[in-house]
Amino acid sequence: MTADADSPPLLSPQRRVSGWMRAYRTLFRWELLGSRLLYPILIVSQILVGAGFVIGFGLLIPDVDADTARYLSTGAVVMSLILVGLVVSPQLIAQQKMEGSYDYVRSMPVPRSAALVASMSLGLMVAIPGIVAALGVATMRYDIVLSVHTSAVPAFILTLACGSLLGSAVGHAIDRPQATLLFTQLGIVFIIGFSPVSFPVERLPHWLSNLHEFLPIHHMSLLVRSSLTEGLVDATVKSWLVLAVWTVIAATVTGVVMGRRA
Amino acid sequence: MTVLQQEATTALTSTPWTFRVEGLVKTYGTASPANDGISLEVKPGEVYGLLGPNGAGKSTLVKQVMGLLKPTAGSITLGRYDLVANPAIARQLCSYLPQAQMPIDSFTVTEAIEIAGSIRGGQRSEIHLRTRDLIDRLQIGEWAGTRGVRLSGGVRRLVGFAMATVSPGRIVFLDEPTNDVDPLRRRLLWEQIRRVADGGSAVFLVTHNVLEAENSVDRLAVIDRGRLIAEGTPSSVKAECRGRMRLLLMLAPGTIDPELPDFVRDAHRVGNRYTIAINEHDVSASIIWAQMLMGQGVAEEYALGATSLEDAYIKLTGDVTAEGA
Repeated sequence: MTADADSPPLLSPQRRVSGWMRAYRTLFRWELLGSRLLYPILIVSQILVGAGFVIGFGLLIPDVDADTARYLSTGAVVMSLILVGLVVSPQLIAQQKMEGSYDYVRSMPVPRSAALVASMSLGLMVAIPGIVAALGVATMRYDIVLSVHTSAVPAFILTLACGSLLGSAVGHAIDRPQATLLFTQLGIVFIIGFSPVSFPVERLPHWLSNLHEFLPIHHMSLLVRSSLTEGLVDATVKSWLVLAVWTVIAATVTGVVMGRRA
Repeated sequence: MTVLQQEATTALTSTPWTFRVEGLVKTYGTASPANDGISLEVKPGEVYGLLGPNGAGKSTLVKQVMGLLKPTAGSITLGRYDLVANPAIARQLCSYLPQAQMPIDSFTVTEAIEIAGSIRGGQRSEIHLRTRDLIDRLQIGEWAGTRGVRLSGGVRRLVGFAMATVSPGRIVFLDEPTNDVDPLRRRLLWEQIRRVADGGSAVFLVTHNVLEAENSVDRLAVIDRGRLIAEGTPSSVKAECRGRMRLLLMLAPGTIDPELPDFVRDAHRVGNRYTIAINEHDVSASIIWAQMLMGQGVAEEYALGATSLEDAYIKLTGDVTAEGA
């Protein structure tokens, strides 16, 4: 009785790609229009976070030298990308669950990968103003020189993709929206206080710096930082690999929990 | 869209199909089953109603069809497609208006309907025309450019209906579509539901509004505590009450229940509304009794009529709080 027993004609790769692209464009529009009341607030908050991060952390340190300034400013960029992915994504899913619209969104006849990529594209749009603000404020406040490499593009995209997918996995996996909000708040504390985003990894306790070798945050920082500065840190192939592995794991988990039927 | 989804979408356009649920069971842990061995069939062009009190398991059934919940046992098929094994095909072939409001706060009415049509894969020009048509027919044109956040609950519900039907699937699931909708537009909504069925789709309607369902569905099922307890046309489900009449008494506020004569077969009171079932040959006696109650000031008015689906429904579910009735 199942359709699996049938052998339907193969759909050409071109038609599959065009169908996916059509779904992506429609879902991008759905997300853009659907959150247009929210995005201005998110963008402003990202700008404030980016700029505030650079200035605020500078106040904690009495004499900000050139390297510290570069750490702070590139740390603000990493923070913007991570917050959009790891914090905003699960919170938007939690909001859908609270409003009761989660079932409708899950019932849409679209490839879930297209929905995820559309959501990430919007996330990048939201993060960019905060990134520009952070770097702009940093150059004015500390008079630093940045050197933007072409690796910035893949580094930004991979960082945001990995964060968004991890955030989506959390948002879909946790049934109670309140628990998701609590989880993201704890995540923020861990990222700001106990992750080498705005300071060198050597400052952490040995066991924690060892742990960060296997977690994505340190490698996100290395990739973004090395793509924006010269001689501050060296991102190795290992960082790309670790982040790629985390992205694949997060995508797999997200795919499973999105399609999960209780 | 996968190969199977693409094929499913085109294959069922011209060939006859049946939506079939067989032996559906859904349990959560050790609690009593939310669905307990439900079997039913729906054909193209039918408006099928699923009635039942709150918590009877109606929405649970629909969520299993839409791939949001996984059945514990049983099968759900549309034509030759197994929807439990292929939830992506279920989403492709079925449109869905959930019980909760749609996420349209930021959308204008027109945008929400058009983009829902695009997501369902409709052609842009066709969706544009159909959106305008639905807005006209549901008489919500004055809000066409209004964002969802400023709409009343009833208009939001109508927009949700339009989103589910602007590019309808083979079967359209509507979970409580008339909630919050005003009486005039409810009538328009029922007309549109019929139009969807006339267009060749089936409409699967979940409701606890028995009176409306009686006039609007072709066939219906009643479920209670997860079990299907009746199925058929409204007339056949009412058959149990054949030979009976219904006496409706509006009691004066504050009065206690009057003592019931022997000819009363069944009675229940909701507020001051007292509904009494009698046999046809007791009509004269019941009128005399009702007039006497009015004379005593116990009742303010009475009406005598044929038994309705609501009577059969209450008899079946044993529930005197038939909401929306």
